[in-house]
Amino acid sequence: MPSPRPPDDETTPHSLLPLPWHACLYLPPGAEATAAPPGTLTTIAEQFSPRYERHHDGLVSIDVSGLDRLLGPPRVIGEELRREAAAHGIRAHVAIARTRMAAMVAALAHPGLTVIPHGEEAAALAPLPIALLEKIISSSDAAPSADSASSALAAFKHWGLKTLGEVAALPPADLVARLGRRALEWQAMARGDDVRPLVPTLAEERFESTIDLEWPIEELEPLSFVLTRLLEPLSTRLERRDRGAAVLHVLLRLVTRLPAPAPGSGSGRSAASGWERVVYARRLELPSPMRDVRTLRTLALLDLESHPPDAAIDRVTIVIDPTPGRVLQHTLFTRAHPTPEQLSTLLARLGALMGQDRFGAPATVDTYRPGAFVMAPFSTEHRDTSPQPTAPSPQPLHAALRRCRQPVPARVAVADGRPVRVTTDRRGFTGGSVVRAAGPWRTSGEWWTSGSSGSGRSGGLVGSGQAVAAGGAGETHPTHATHPTSWNRDEWDVSLSDGAMYRIFQDRETEAWFIDAIVD
Amino acid sequence: MALARAHLESLLRARQLDRTLTTALPPLDPRDEAALAAAGITALDATLGGGFPRGQLSELVGPRSSGRTSVVLQMIAAATSRGELVALVDVLDMLDVESAASAGIALPQLLWVRGHVVVNAGMCRDLNQRALEQAIRALTLVLQAGNFGLVVFDAAEAPAEAVRRLPFTTWMRLQRMVEGSQTACVLVGAEPMARSSAGLTLRLAGIGIGIRDQGIGISKGRDEKGIVQNGVGSSGASRFGNQLFDGLDFTARVVRARAREREEGSVALATTA
Repeated sequence: MPSPRPPDDETTPHSLLPLPWHACLYLPPGAEATAAPPGTLTTIAEQFSPRYERHHDGLVSIDVSGLDRLLGPPRVIGEELRREAAAHGIRAHVAIARTRMAAMVAALAHPGLTVIPHGEEAAALAPLPIALLEKIISSSDAAPSADSASSALAAFKHWGLKTLGEVAALPPADLVARLGRRALEWQAMARGDDVRPLVPTLAEERFESTIDLEWPIEELEPLSFVLTRLLEPLSTRLERRDRGAAVLHVLLRLVTRLPAPAPGSGSGRSAASGWERVVYARRLELPSPMRDVRTLRTLALLDLESHPPDAAIDRVTIVIDPTPGRVLQHTLFTRAHPTPEQLSTLLARLGALMGQDRFGAPATVDTYRPGAFVMAPFSTEHRDTSPQPTAPSPQPLHAALRRCRQPVPARVAVADGRPVRVTTDRRGFTGGSVVRAAGPWRTSGEWWTSGSSGSGRSGGLVGSGQAVAAGGAGETHPTHATHPTSWNRDEWDVSLSDGAMYRIFQDRETEAWFIDAIVD
Repeated sequence: MALARAHLESLLRARQLDRTLTTALPPLDPRDEAALAAAGITALDATLGGGFPRGQLSELVGPRSSGRTSVVLQMIAAATSRGELVALVDVLDMLDVESAASAGIALPQLLWVRGHVVVNAGMCRDLNQRALEQAIRALTLVLQAGNFGLVVFDAAEAPAEAVRRLPFTTWMRLQRMVEGSQTACVLVGAEPMARSSAGLTLRLAGIGIGIRDQGIGISKGRDEKGIVQNGVGSSGASRFGNQLFDGLDFTARVVRARAREREEGSVALATTA
């Protein structure tokens, strides 16, 4: 049975506010929808009301309350909407009703213009096929409920229901008992009742700020003040919208005086045209949403220090790509980590100081190459891992290596096939007689790759000791782009008379000896 | 008068101006995890009274192959297992990532800053001095960021003269930066470098030269303290059991501890390959 409707006056039972009118525009899939540029329906809706909700590119709900005083009765509003759609080259389904849901169902079901009088929503929707319900849910509801809706529709069909009216007439208590509480929402949809109010879609706000400088600036220090002035209002706006900056664009207009035209060249260039202006753009992808002015300014300045503009600046523009803000829940029971802002600033400073490829998180590589590793970007977001309830059990102390990133050439005296003395010319690696030696262990690899023949000494040197990759910003650059990748060597662990212990190796192609690592 | 003095002293205490760098710090509570960073090596932690102190510069010094790297990697592994972030400023870019992974370090939690090294500096030896100063600046940035559980400055293979050439005020400044924070800052070197700024100095030394055949240790040397565990298991600086490298034996001795009443204590340690 349809639920009882309020009396046919223009107010709700509990308020003196007039009941709203809702319109819905639907552009069915097809050639027209494909040809229409994205956002056409939104553009049409904007011309009628600021309160509209975009469900997807082909379905828009509009709150048209109050337009009757401007345009006339609902049918006239609907005609105007159709006319506007035609002006944009599309034939949209238009429906107007007191409830958003009724308008949406009618627009999905009927081409042309449909106007549902007040109080007749359920009756108007009752003969519509039940398959519409799935379309409505996929258009208007959260995705996770789509699966449960499909199973419920299957149940409805199994029960022999064919129309929305039959669904609306089911006893609610029995329906909930069989299909859960979500069934009440589906039943309300079948009646044309709103399960939630219209949520207006806000136009994408552009976070941009520009300042023209009276005198061009050439140093980065004064630019710091300019950036602060630009970023402060942007940060405030971001905070109001609960947004953070995902990407920071710094656009600098650089001004350069062109060389004076040669006399008599006839170019006729005026004094004003003797300046060339180009825009120098930098783009900073921030690792986490942030809106702290100091952090953003520091990051922008550090980036500009690394990539300084080559001319004076006379206009500064900051554009921020927003993203939803970050919600943090701190805890009393875990150790505080540096905040993403602190880590981002630290990484930017380290990048400016050391170079982008000189810091990060190490990672192992699936290879037998001695000393291979890759550098991964150090994450600025670290989950608060709860401390273990009991202290971790002590692990056995493993002997570690200190790797010589470039193996140290060594002179090795060999007797009976074993090294007996190791010396080098390198300062700090004096060497001595071998007290004890373990080995050899033969290792080789990637000899099958093309161009990998390590001819000469450098081939063995680089191929045996060089790291596979030392990437900046998480990029890995295998060395085989520039160096041979194969290695072929005999390794020894030797303990020398000076008390030090080394891992040395002999390159089997060049027969040269190198110190590869220190056992420490 | 007494009230005014007490008030003045409390103000100085609040601003950490009530002591000099050479003044003994208040003793640390070994049960206080917020004050100590356990190294994850039971014998060493017992000797240190719970671990390395937070909010102080600590030093881990010793010659080559004295177990410095093994201890440092174990410390980092223990810190990452506690969920802490760790920064390693590797002055000469010598970290072996496989060793780090073997030690059980959660590598994503390790910020590795690799120094620039000129292999053959030749006439331009100042280049490596500049690399050292650059690494100090990187260490400063990391300490300024704060909230790292452990920060390691590894200058173990840096030339001693280059380290000595660093201004003494460098270490005082670093000590002031780390003071009062939850960060344990460990300097690794061949010799003590932070001098009076150091809170704890741990000296490592290999225990002579030992030879092991078929897994049986034969002691051939002693360290200056005579710490030898009856020949087997920890009698040699390196163990080659049946021609296989088996690990290192070394001692760790506390030579300086500002926050301890007694500055003695040593422990014999052994690594496995």
